[in-house]
Amino acid sequence: MSFLRLGVFAAAASAVAVAALGPPPPAAAQDVARGAAHYQLCAACHGDQGAGSEPRGAPAIAGLPGWYVDAQLRKFRSGQRGYAPDDETGLQMRPMATALRTDEDVASVAAYVARLPPAAPAPTLAGDATRGQALFAPCSACHGPDGGGNEALKGPRLAGQPDWYLLAQLVKFKSGARGAHKDDATGAQMRAMASTLVDERAMLDVVAYVRTLRAGEGAR
Amino acid sequence: MLEWLIPAASTSAEEIDWLFTLIFYTVGFWFLVAQGIFFGFILKFRRRPGVRSQYIAGESTDEKRWISWPHYVVIACDVVLIAGAIAVWRDVKQIIPTPDETIRVVAQQWAWTFVHPGPDHRLDTPDDVVTVNELHVRNDATYVFELSSRDVVHSFSVPVFRLKQDAVPGRVITGWFRPTRTGTFDIACAEMCGIGHALMPAVLHVESAEAHAAWLGDRTTVAAASSESRS
Repeated sequence: MSFLRLGVFAAAASAVAVAALGPPPPAAAQDVARGAAHYQLCAACHGDQGAGSEPRGAPAIAGLPGWYVDAQLRKFRSGQRGYAPDDETGLQMRPMATALRTDEDVASVAAYVARLPPAAPAPTLAGDATRGQALFAPCSACHGPDGGGNEALKGPRLAGQPDWYLLAQLVKFKSGARGAHKDDATGAQMRAMASTLVDERAMLDVVAYVRTLRAGEGAR
Repeated sequence: MLEWLIPAASTSAEEIDWLFTLIFYTVGFWFLVAQGIFFGFILKFRRRPGVRSQYIAGESTDEKRWISWPHYVVIACDVVLIAGAIAVWRDVKQIIPTPDETIRVVAQQWAWTFVHPGPDHRLDTPDDVVTVNELHVRNDATYVFELSSRDVVHSFSVPVFRLKQDAVPGRVITGWFRPTRTGTFDIACAEMCGIGHALMPAVLHVESAEAHAAWLGDRTTVAAASSESRS
């Protein structure tokens, strides 16, 4: 009998304790909190709000899709990105990505970055958007006609990215400083597409057109 | 003696370790002698019943020599150690021997880029092999390195070579080494260079001539294939 009373008391005490502590936070919220802690390192170059910094060569990452940030961080960690001697900013980013020790750390930062409000970068380059629209046609297959991206095809959102960053990446894809690693399948795809832009003028025009895109602004 | 803690893998490392050992045993010997005399005197002149303490001004010759003789010993040891240090400094830093190979070391936040001359043993030719965070050298070959930085001050530190040289933006600093032991060793940045300072280790491979030639051959083939695909 006394055991029964003890059991009832223990159960009641546990119920009170659980009620007092409240329900555990959902897993996603835990991820974001963990991501926020890890993001302190990223903030040194990408800024507190992920708005990026051109002098540091750090792109705006706020609001980028979590799957894309996750994939890129994994590429940096494994050396599929940031491997080329002439990719100065990639070489800078690679060790920072290795500071994220586990896949869960990477996922948590990606989740945190995805929740940051996207920045609105100011234009820094001049190009012919009309000519760029024609050149953008092949890009739209993966990145979407409105530059909103397509997760199924692993094409990230381009709209809202700083123009200097887009140009720098096109140059890197074309030269092989990005996307030429043997294990980087999506990079290889993008390299082939970048090679269709014959010169820097063509790249500037495409970038100028991308700057006019306003994909999913209301839905972000 | 340092080799108990970390291998010595270059001619400079052997010389520096020799100097370290010379300093250690010279200073260590006299330290023990001094401590022995010190504690011997404490014991000999300890308080005894019926013996009054006395004030010693150190004026008599047989008292003064407890000071003057150690001074002569210190000076004699200093001369030996400084002569040894100058000899090692001259060999390690001042005289750069004729190299078998010249390599280029470029530091940046937060990576090391190494430019190896290809099979033609000359830099700035199409067969150069460029690597990131990975340096390959031949054992028993003299290397001169040209060290530079793309951004801030770094320090090219190779503990097994006992080599540590700052990389200063805007300057090309020349140094040398001659590996004496094959193996895989650490390269680190030894100058605080920003938030990723601790995250820029590189790997040094000291290889036999055959292994190095094989690596170089592989890399040259890959580089040629890659440059074809990149062009």
